[in-house]
Amino acid sequence: MIPQLVTVRYRGHPEGRGLRLYVPVVPVLLLLSPLLVLAVLGAVVACVVFRFSPVDALRGTWRLFWALPGARIELDDGQTALLISVR
Amino acid sequence: MNEQRRQILQMLAEGKITAEEAERLIDALGQEQPESPPRPKSRPKYLRVMVMDTSEASPTRINVQIPLQLLRAGVRLTSVIPPQVLTKINAELDKTGWPIDLTELKPQHIEDLVDQLDEVTIDVDDATTKLHVFCE
Repeated sequence: MIPQLVTVRYRGHPEGRGLRLYVPVVPVLLLLSPLLVLAVLGAVVACVVFRFSPVDALRGTWRLFWALPGARIELDDGQTALLISVR
Repeated sequence: MNEQRRQILQMLAEGKITAEEAERLIDALGQEQPESPPRPKSRPKYLRVMVMDTSEASPTRINVQIPLQLLRAGVRLTSVIPPQVLTKINAELDKTGWPIDLTELKPQHIEDLVDQLDEVTIDVDDATTKLHVFCE
């Protein structure tokens, strides 16, 4: 299952409300699809230049992307707090 | 309620058998029925790393949840690295005192390692810091 929603919460001060970002992945990917195509083409060229297999690299990257849901990173040192969650 | 149990209770109600006999028959029925197979233990899906630093200067809490599938995907990505790059990495590792031959490290080996992470639990307790690594 591809990621649906990425949540980013950042709080710089203990009293502050901080920043909350809810990123719907699929709409954002659709919006950025022209750039994404360019990025994939650039990655393929880079793979050819550095003698990587483009197919294997793309497949591996896709697998990484596919496996992202469920990842969660939470840091809190009292002053600063950061949460990144992929669902 | 199954048919045999119903018949026993019917016979008890009609007075054909005593309560003790009915109990014995029902017990015997229970022994005859095969035990349901044990449910397979669900495999863990996530690697969790939790760090709690309770020092007064800078109390810190870290909670990381990584899907094991993501670890496997990352491991498979290493197979993309061409052999000549691995040779260069080996040379650099050798220079820094780490004589590790990465060409001998196959993705299958690392995948086996990830598979065995299910059973891993690491607990480190310091005076102010606690580290807990486990799979769930």
